[in-house]
Amino acid sequence: MLYGWVVNPVKYVDTTPSSLRADYQADYVLMVAESYNQNRDLPLAARRLALLGESSPTEHVRQALIFGAQNGYADSDLELLSQLASDLQTWNPITGTGGS
Amino acid sequence: MRENRGPWYLLTGFVLGAFLGLLYAWVVSPVEYVDTSPAAMRADFRDQYRALIASAYVANRDIARAQARLNLLSDRDVARTLAEQAQHTLADGGSPEVAQALALLALDLGQGPTPVVVAGSPTAVSTLAVPTAAVEAASPTAGVTQLPTETPQIPTNPVTAAAETSEPSPSLGAALQTPQATRTSLPTGAPLPTRTPTATSGAPIALEEKSFVCDPNLAEPMIQVVAENAAGDQISGIEVVVNWEGGENHFFTGIKSELGPGYADFTMTPGEVYSLRLAEGGEPVSELTAAECESGDGSRYWGSWLLLFAQGAE
Repeated sequence: MLYGWVVNPVKYVDTTPSSLRADYQADYVLMVAESYNQNRDLPLAARRLALLGESSPTEHVRQALIFGAQNGYADSDLELLSQLASDLQTWNPITGTGGS
Repeated sequence: MRENRGPWYLLTGFVLGAFLGLLYAWVVSPVEYVDTSPAAMRADFRDQYRALIASAYVANRDIARAQARLNLLSDRDVARTLAEQAQHTLADGGSPEVAQALALLALDLGQGPTPVVVAGSPTAVSTLAVPTAAVEAASPTAGVTQLPTETPQIPTNPVTAAAETSEPSPSLGAALQTPQATRTSLPTGAPLPTRTPTATSGAPIALEEKSFVCDPNLAEPMIQVVAENAAGDQISGIEVVVNWEGGENHFFTGIKSELGPGYADFTMTPGEVYSLRLAEGGEPVSELTAAECESGDGSRYWGSWLLLFAQGAE
């Protein structure tokens, strides 16, 4: 234990976005929302959100919204997240239609 | 009667124990990484994270927020890493929008005062300083969403309205400037002119000086590009396009920040004729070919073209 915890403790490398801490994940989703607000590229936003794990893109945004509301995100940022969540709900990944 | 089993039962127990341990750790309950930081991500995911930061920055133009996010990746030289990724993105056929976003962020992070000292002597030494304002952390105080930090605490205190301070101290930026590399400019015919441009924004960048440099320290024939803004500060993230018969290459200034944030170079193939232009427009510089220089002892070596692009004063 001395060796494993003190002398040569484990270093996490080559992890994936899905293992990020909750606040990092929320900020990741916020970045996607900020970018989407400018380019309106919903497929790109969905692809970026897919890196966060197996849940649906809408679920990732919903989680970020909850986290943001609980942790004092600015109203403008919450609006961006809401807009992205709303557009994702009406988006059809097969036909590529929906969103705004 | 006593059975003599020898030491084999110990070995059998060890093997069985190791097998069961591995089975448990790899199959039954493998390790799951949770609560990791962006800095621990695999290199390609960090690249995507960086690209996303740049894309978000293009949307919100919040340099303090972008800087705080980039700090999470623990890159040693933020502006340089961005510039390099922009170049790699273009070279690998990636999205031009992403490359542009990365270059823009690198450019805006590298806007600190970085004077270029070019004396008139034929043996003058050009001292090119690296950007330091790029890595000075901006410090948003309040009024915005609190970004995650490296601390293990998840932010729980909502920040309330106030002003946001993101400008680094100019005096601090100047004090921290450290010349990183020295290049010796040997006979070029005429020294580069002394300019006293005024600060402008949006003015086009055009070729200001084209000179042939004989520098025995350069092993290959090169086209060296330096881009400056109207204030005479080197600027990174300027996309340069080189064309030759049957080929084209794109690169950005700042890729070799140890030679200056506004510096970039391209190695020529002897016998090839190149033209160079800035991606944002302007007249191309044509008829650039490799040529030799001769030293005092008669030995020959490759010279280089030095192209100075500067933003015009308005």
